[in-house]
Amino acid sequence: MAGPVLIIGAGVAGMTAAVELADSGVEVILVDRLSTIGGNALNLYKAFPTDDCFYCFEGNRWRPGIRKCFYRSAMIDQPNIDLKTNCEVGDIKGPPGKFTVTLERGPMYIDPKKCTMCGFCMNHSEAFRLLSPQSQPQAVVFDPSKMDEGAKKAESECPTKAINLKAEPTTERVQVSDIIVATGFHEMQPVDVDEYGYGTHPNIITQLELAAILDPNGRSHGKLVRPSDGAPVTRVMMVQCVGSRDENYYSYCSKICCVFALKHANIITQERDPAHVSVVYMDIRTYDRHEKYYRQSRASGVEFIRGRVTKVTPQKDGTLEIVIYDSLLDKYLKTVVDLFVLSSALEPSEGSNMIITKLGLRNASGFVAPIEETSEREVEVGSRVYACGAALGPAEVPESVTQARAVVSRILQARRAS
Amino acid sequence: MAETEDKAEPPAILIDPIDMSKLDSEFRHEISSMPNGEELSACFACSTCTAACPIANVWKYKPHQLIRMILLGMREEVLSSEEIWLCLTCFQCQERCPQKVRVTDILFDCKNLAAEEDKIPPNVAALGKQLVETGQLYTVTADWEREDMDLEPEVPGLDVEPIKKILKGTRTGRISSGGSE
Amino acid sequence: MPTYNLYMGCSVPANYPNYEAAMTRVANAFGIQLDYLEGVACCGSPNLRAIDHFGWLVVNARTLAIADKTGNDTITPCNGCFGSLKDVYHILVHDADSREAVNKELKKEGLEFKGLSKPRHFVEVLYTDVGMEEIKKKITTPLDGVGISIHYGCHILRPADVTEFKPEILDELLRVTGATVVEYPLWKQCCGATVLPVNEALGIRLARDKLKSMKEAGAEFATVVCPACANQLDLQQLDLKKSYGEDYNLPILFLPQILGLAMGLSEEEVGLSMNRVPAGPILSHLRG
Repeated sequence: MAGPVLIIGAGVAGMTAAVELADSGVEVILVDRLSTIGGNALNLYKAFPTDDCFYCFEGNRWRPGIRKCFYRSAMIDQPNIDLKTNCEVGDIKGPPGKFTVTLERGPMYIDPKKCTMCGFCMNHSEAFRLLSPQSQPQAVVFDPSKMDEGAKKAESECPTKAINLKAEPTTERVQVSDIIVATGFHEMQPVDVDEYGYGTHPNIITQLELAAILDPNGRSHGKLVRPSDGAPVTRVMMVQCVGSRDENYYSYCSKICCVFALKHANIITQERDPAHVSVVYMDIRTYDRHEKYYRQSRASGVEFIRGRVTKVTPQKDGTLEIVIYDSLLDKYLKTVVDLFVLSSALEPSEGSNMIITKLGLRNASGFVAPIEETSEREVEVGSRVYACGAALGPAEVPESVTQARAVVSRILQARRAS
Repeated sequence: MAETEDKAEPPAILIDPIDMSKLDSEFRHEISSMPNGEELSACFACSTCTAACPIANVWKYKPHQLIRMILLGMREEVLSSEEIWLCLTCFQCQERCPQKVRVTDILFDCKNLAAEEDKIPPNVAALGKQLVETGQLYTVTADWEREDMDLEPEVPGLDVEPIKKILKGTRTGRISSGGSE
Repeated sequence: MPTYNLYMGCSVPANYPNYEAAMTRVANAFGIQLDYLEGVACCGSPNLRAIDHFGWLVVNARTLAIADKTGNDTITPCNGCFGSLKDVYHILVHDADSREAVNKELKKEGLEFKGLSKPRHFVEVLYTDVGMEEIKKKITTPLDGVGISIHYGCHILRPADVTEFKPEILDELLRVTGATVVEYPLWKQCCGATVLPVNEALGIRLARDKLKSMKEAGAEFATVVCPACANQLDLQQLDLKKSYGEDYNLPILFLPQILGLAMGLSEEEVGLSMNRVPAGPILSHLRG
């Protein structure tokens, strides 16, 4: 009798694999280091290629997708899925097929099975937060650094006794037959990259930080405002290839950032109070059917400058003066913007390196690499070890879903065979 | 069209394209094989070097264009350009290049090739001559200033003869004696 | 007593004996022994590298080969010399062919480049080998927080894989004297020295832009660690009235001069009177 499958990472790829395995009768342990699942998708607002709000984007016959609300409640309701949030992988030992994995779980201050999100605790202390009305598990999260008297009162008076402020971290050992690495990607914080000044000024941000501002669920309810003072943004400049295609950082192309940068540019020009958007680029790589984002953005008045930034100089009023070399005009240009957005490299998730080392997996620029480079075995990265989604390298959502399904297919075939 | 005056030049609207068969396809290999020229072909013309250059605004051929000219084989234009000599050698271009093309070092290589063909700005050639003749770019003249500072009037250990001898035997010497042999 | 070879280049001894004296006095105070290298002269500057790469390699390899015989590292106070020595060292250590060709020449004098003596800038030796703790102990007359900008210079910062110098070193060395480090947007930019022989107007423009940027950021003084940069920012400053009609009144001091004053050296001992733009005003900012 084969043991459960361990899935590391509950993002798009991890959740897809979890549900499809579970629905096929396979037991799954799904772990994620955060208190709420969804991965990078949580902060994306709209995702390409459909521009649906990413909380709910339907799949159909010709285009794989995932119905997030459905999947997310499946994470809780599907009995074959044992979801452990706030959980990291410690050690992995044992032969393929009989892995012994040590799971390290942070303190469970809130029991998600008991929390009804009534809001009582949030009224008494800022230490409790509801990350989003759609978060799964459906529960508040507690920040111990904000502990106060109100939190203690909430603990003693919580109507379902869901709060335990004395909770301790726990360790658990599980035996699993297969491991799926679905650790996704991380957007590099481009501190010290070139002359961009990231980290020195609040109005210099990354694309995912911009997505969070444009998200109607966010602090400004989707209005495009300057982080420095909340004033409306009238001029935005984006720079592509920050830390990507760069021998000093990551030599690969991060693939999807031209697409999502222009997705953001289009949202700004077409769905918000009009702001002027410029995109400084070396090459626009809106490959395949995504070329439409490029065409639409040009039509909506986005300005494209093929060249590179010479200098960014903060001004006293919170704006940024930027000098750019325009290689098509062969001239230096100067402009002033409110918001400077960097399309930063997509790097492997923190901690994925540890998993690669522990399992002796192949490594491609820090991402997990397949056992063999032939596409037939793309998702097999070790003996009884699989990977899907951005853990393999920057990937689109449909691609991540397809890979997750390929992993499921492999696992089911292997089980039928044995 | 038929009424054009004989005196006027025909308008240069049909500019002669550069005949690529006349370019020197070996030039890129020549530069690649010179010191620190290995990454020349990695250039993907992003123009970061030009964005980084403090003075390229006044250059007719910008740094990224010079690299392109090398890759295409425009040897004559590059080695005769004044731009390569205007390089500040500040290394900003080289530092920022995302493909690790050592732009400044490549421009040094171009200058060396130009020097071999006696294409040197007169003031730079004069510096070379000075090195061959005196072994220094600056010679102590106000030795009383050194004494005021409690230093030896003559710099301890200074010996210009070995430098003069070395440079007489290399290109500097050949340039300074009035052109290559 | 740690001992180092001293390579002065040709510009500091001829044009800025005040820098040489301030440096040697500061070195003395920390028990550093500086031995002038025997039998050396100019490094050639980037201009020699431009017209005669091999000649430049041999000339500088020779300096390092002479230093190799002593078993000590080599200190220089000039960015240009530092750039030349460090670049040549880097090339010869990594490229066996160049090394062979150069050593073939040096053999004629019975010399050999072995890469034993590392070329180092004086300020880096202060930071790394003496250490900020020791330096702090010797500050007896600190500055009163007066704003000073740092012009690092190109050849000490870049190429970073060769020079291995962190700009923070100069920030800390200045801060320990009691000055306030005034940051300014053009801190990385070149002073323009190398291009002077080819296009003087460009060189002057670059010098002026640096001074303007420093002044606009609120600096009352500026510091350099290279005689060529000093030429541009200090000597050239006096001519800016002619070319740009601008008066910056920004005294330029070598870092060892400022350090020396904060360590209790007198204005005569650091040769303050030789700074072109009158640097006397710094004295009124010394406390104690």
